[in-house]
Amino acid sequence: MTGPRPVVAGEPLAAPGAVAGAIYDLGYRGYDGPRLGRGAAVATLFWHSLRAAFGWGRSGRSKIVPWGLAAFGLIPAAITTAVAALVPPEAGAALPFTYDNYLSNIWTILALFVAAQAPELVSGDQRHRVLSLYFSHALARSDYALAKLAAMVAAVFLVGFAPMLLLLVGSILVTADVPAALGDQLENVPQVVLAPLIYAIPGASLGLAIAAWTPRRAYATGAIIAVFVVTAATAGILEEATRGRLSDWAQLVNPFVAADGTRDLLVGEPNFESAASRTSLAPWIFGAWTLLLAAASTVAVLWRYRRIAA
Amino acid sequence: MPLIEARALTKRYGEHVLALDGLDLGVEPGIIGLVGANGAGKSTLLKILLGLLSPTSGTASVMGLDVTRQGPEIRQWVGYLPEHDCLPPDASATEFVTHMGRMSGLPAAAARERTAEVLRHVGLYEERYRPIGGYSTGMKQRVKLAQALVHDPKLLLLDEPTNGLDPAGRDEMLALVKRTGTEFGMATVVASHLLGEIERVCTFLLAIDAGKLLRAAPIVSFTERTGTLSVEVEDGADQLAARLRGEGLEAAVDGRVVLVASADEGRYDLVRDAVDELGLALVRLEHQRHRLEDLFSAQDAAA
Repeated sequence: MTGPRPVVAGEPLAAPGAVAGAIYDLGYRGYDGPRLGRGAAVATLFWHSLRAAFGWGRSGRSKIVPWGLAAFGLIPAAITTAVAALVPPEAGAALPFTYDNYLSNIWTILALFVAAQAPELVSGDQRHRVLSLYFSHALARSDYALAKLAAMVAAVFLVGFAPMLLLLVGSILVTADVPAALGDQLENVPQVVLAPLIYAIPGASLGLAIAAWTPRRAYATGAIIAVFVVTAATAGILEEATRGRLSDWAQLVNPFVAADGTRDLLVGEPNFESAASRTSLAPWIFGAWTLLLAAASTVAVLWRYRRIAA
Repeated sequence: MPLIEARALTKRYGEHVLALDGLDLGVEPGIIGLVGANGAGKSTLLKILLGLLSPTSGTASVMGLDVTRQGPEIRQWVGYLPEHDCLPPDASATEFVTHMGRMSGLPAAAARERTAEVLRHVGLYEERYRPIGGYSTGMKQRVKLAQALVHDPKLLLLDEPTNGLDPAGRDEMLALVKRTGTEFGMATVVASHLLGEIERVCTFLLAIDAGKLLRAAPIVSFTERTGTLSVEVEDGADQLAARLRGEGLEAAVDGRVVLVASADEGRYDLVRDAVDELGLALVRLEHQRHRLEDLFSAQDAAA
């Protein structure tokens, strides 16, 4: 008796004479199902990288930094919401954090998140040479670069978006008349979504562009911190010392200062506390610079992955 | 349609390094051994076939698809096992192979199912849930093979699949490669610098040296050659050779080694007696194994 036998109810499944409980070596079997191709590969890489940015699917230890930073980013929003709930609005006390100044105040958390997690996305694949496997799949080098870039932007966006969303939800829930507050807050929804994106795009892409140039995680983190934090501090000192136009331009090195200005330009009310508003530069300069930073970073990442040996 | 075809394929690295030098190839499906010394151009050829490197000049095609223009289409149907380490230490074999399956375009459920199957096929069981960083070299090679098989490719490119394995591990890996190639009819190219390994699993052999094709023939045409008896003595190799020539044997001297052509049973005795009577210290007496050098020197002689 050879070949598959139709299964008939009530009949024993094993062929007559077969040893009961025998183990058959199925060996290797082919696959005839669907193959989703390049687009699916890029989507897979994007989700895989976004999860990796939060240590998802990795060891518990690699979750500490991203979730810790994300939690720190939420604390001011949580306090603001708590204060709003406890102090009646009629008292007229101004809340310390608003949609306008929130991200500007937590920019160091966003910067540290980029410094810690951008290398997580790209260094390991270079150090352990997983790149040669990625590039031997139905995926172009530019696909890999863009998927990583998009994942990093999405991760930073989420870290910035979570407290903005908490502010929004909080301000609706603490009021006595929730439906009315819902209507009032509706106009704020675009800036709650767009402002984190404005901060995420230049910061994440510049960070990833730096991280992609070295297989060493520690170097990448150090270099990103140097660019974001140290230059910001230097610019601050320059500002104090010279009060000149040079210090204004030096501020632009920090992509989050560029984002401050771009946010003022595009959404919400101007934030007079930000480093950007202390400069004498025209708002459009921040917008143009943000675009330029994002574009140059993207080109740098694409260039790097076009050239890298695999 | 040939499986792999190359016309005047040339690859230069910088000014001075010529990795492939006008290679012409036409290979039919089977288990193909690609032999050459380190630096002969094996890895370069595989990477060009995958579209990972672009040739300096010349053309190549895999399954009728052009390597420079149709890289992604080729790679969708090819499984590749690189020579070097390529596994992330913090992922488990199951996670990593599933991820690579999805990167090959398998839907999520199919990728998980195929991963379980190929990991069983390569002989990874309970350990597949542990991080790869803790695996032995043998287990890592199995994971590398599994990720190359997960999407059921039509062509498997294996670059030194036994790299870093102990003898038992080599045997198991070669058996696995042979089984995958013969029982499941998957076209396979095995690159190796060990002719012995190629002989055991392959049906067809491509020998390359310094970027040029040395020979392309079914494996039997290589193993037909009769073995040479190699006799290593402390001193007096010339003396021994002269003596053996006197006995009517073909003998050549190579340093301390006397190579005796076509040794049949009776000649072992002749050699033994000659060594004894000359009072020489015998270090080694063996059938010379087929080595790359034999292949290459035979080619030089024919040229």
